[in-house]
Amino acid sequence: MDWLDGISITCFAASYLVALGLVVSRIFFRTSLRKYLVIGIMVAGLFAHTVYLMRHAGMEFSSGGVWTGNWSAWTLAAAWCVATACLWIVIRQPQSVVGLFLLPLVLLLVGIGTFLPGESFSASDSRSVWSMVHGLCLLLGTAAVVFGFAAGVMYLMQASRLKRKVGRSEWFRLPSLEWLQNASEKALVVSVALLGMGLASGLFINLAGNRIATETDPNAVRVVAWSDPVVWTSGVLFLWLVAAMLFNRLYQPARQGRKVAYLVVASFLFLMLELGIVLWSGHGATPDVSQNTEPVARCELPSDQIHQETV
Amino acid sequence: MNLQLVGCSHHESGIRLREQLAFREDQVPGFLNLFYETYPESEAVLLSTCNRTEFYVTGRNPDALPSTDEMIELLARHRGINGSTVRDSMFHHRDRQAVFHLFKVAASLDSMVLGEAQILSQVKQAYQLAAETNDAIPFTHHVFQAAIRAARRVSRETKIHSSRVSIPSVAICSLAKRIFERLDNKRILVVGAGKMAGETLTYLNEEGARDINLVNRTFATAQELGERYGGKAHPWEELESQLGMSDLVVSTTAAREPVVTGGMFDRIEASRQQRPLLILDLAIPRDFDLEIGDRLNVYLYSIDDLKAECERNRRARKSEWPKAERILMQETDDFLQQMKRREGGPAIAQLRRQVNEVKELELRRLLNRLEIDEEQRKEIEYSFNRVVNKILHPPMASLNNQNVDEEEQQHSLLDALKRLFQLGD
Repeated sequence: MDWLDGISITCFAASYLVALGLVVSRIFFRTSLRKYLVIGIMVAGLFAHTVYLMRHAGMEFSSGGVWTGNWSAWTLAAAWCVATACLWIVIRQPQSVVGLFLLPLVLLLVGIGTFLPGESFSASDSRSVWSMVHGLCLLLGTAAVVFGFAAGVMYLMQASRLKRKVGRSEWFRLPSLEWLQNASEKALVVSVALLGMGLASGLFINLAGNRIATETDPNAVRVVAWSDPVVWTSGVLFLWLVAAMLFNRLYQPARQGRKVAYLVVASFLFLMLELGIVLWSGHGATPDVSQNTEPVARCELPSDQIHQETV
Repeated sequence: MNLQLVGCSHHESGIRLREQLAFREDQVPGFLNLFYETYPESEAVLLSTCNRTEFYVTGRNPDALPSTDEMIELLARHRGINGSTVRDSMFHHRDRQAVFHLFKVAASLDSMVLGEAQILSQVKQAYQLAAETNDAIPFTHHVFQAAIRAARRVSRETKIHSSRVSIPSVAICSLAKRIFERLDNKRILVVGAGKMAGETLTYLNEEGARDINLVNRTFATAQELGERYGGKAHPWEELESQLGMSDLVVSTTAAREPVVTGGMFDRIEASRQQRPLLILDLAIPRDFDLEIGDRLNVYLYSIDDLKAECERNRRARKSEWPKAERILMQETDDFLQQMKRREGGPAIAQLRRQVNEVKELELRRLLNRLEIDEEQRKEIEYSFNRVVNKILHPPMASLNNQNVDEEEQQHSLLDALKRLFQLGD
């Protein structure tokens, strides 16, 4: 259908913005129609978002059955995951202002996705199954960290309001502390697992590239690109998340209340740092041949060889 | 609509009179049967709650209904008091006012606690009892069903029922829900076994709490309360250990000094491992040292903190009053209009039938005398129909569109119609 080709980032970003505006409008007036409007507009936004990802963002299945894409598309896909979670909560808890916290993060991810490199990942990277696992884990891990951050911030606000004995407000209703604590804790555990798998698959891609490169050229000395800022910050983020999760699991009081919230908020800051570095370094994008520079630890073999090595 | 009402409520009558005129559920059928012995052509409903006793009477024939004084006398006599002593403390309404009053009562706009939900089920119960006593109560059926519909509309379209206004209900249904997602998996401790504890236990049960523990200085009272509301009683000496295990504590003792001091809380704090604890201190003077509220993950609320929310909710409900009243006025008008149509319906149908019979007769006579084709026949039939409709339209419109306030005029119009066109009853 031709009209679907006309869907752009502006379409779904505007939908999310309008939904956010409707959530904010709770301050000014009350209407029972608002929740249906918010849900309707978010469904429309998600539809446009899905179409955009499928048609325009370069996320498609390659001939080898592997999902390809680029940094921009993956970030927009992470935004899609957070928006879907937001819609789910809005439907389950229409009186709460969860959208006030999640929708700005969705818009932030959409904004970052717009600025991130739109070039496809280097041919070899994008066509290995491990690359897909790498990208998918990082995408879902990013969404989990972002969601956990929103839950953590809401927890801190709700706890502070309860401590200060601020009465229940008609326009500013947050989920219960227990719900927010569970959500933060689950987001922490899920993000550790996914980012850990993402990091491990990334290392595997590097090592596979090294082995093949060494076989081809015995003089080539290639190691995991620890000097790549994206690689080392990913490692630091992962270590932080592991430490946070262990702290959370082994030290009983850390499973209660604010400490979980602080952990997920700090994780988000790490994630933003990492996305900033990706934006700055262009990690994973096709190298600019005109400058003849080549990322240190990137697998540069034909896709069929990579496939044989990794699957 | 012939509806008469006499009654007393918390607005104009003291508790003494309300107690004198109150009926237990099992006394109502006896009273209604007594009423039907004297007024067999009427229909009656008796609504009796702790805040009101209201006696509604309706029927097709207004002459067959008792007068207001007779209704008061009947009520009073049945309760063993003299009607003249209570007459001045009772109110009475007729027709539109009575319908509007019933709608207000059902929608809890007339309740002591504005927006309380119990009254609607009491209205339904009163109607049910009336229907069980006499199964031929068509007018009562219409007006009470309309009242229930109106109350539901108010509940749906306004926020008059949305916020809680009593201290225990705000504490459990509003505040505790901001901390705990559910109460069925929480350990709850109720300290004290007074009236407030009982009311709190009702709301805890409503919210699905299962693990309720009671501690009271007099163990037997705690046991009794536990048996009545569901909960396990513990001796007073276990207060400290119970506190260490609980997620939600409701304290309602009449102690002059705090029963839980900062020092006592220090001893249990380590075992709690910073698990969130909501303390609802509903006692005056307070049962918990104020400084306990400063501890990590402890949320201590006193009765004053909750009172503010109750007051805010009361104001919120009051602000919904005009909207709710508008809805009830509209529902009253619609109901009376509907009843009026129902009342005039048979006469109108009969008039149409009579006129159509004349039309058919004359049409047949004319068509038999004329030699015309099918198309011309149809044209003549069409013209006859138009003439009939045009003649009938103005009187029908006058009957249907009359203002509900002009009920008497509507009755006289209906009578005139019946007499002019010689329509039977």
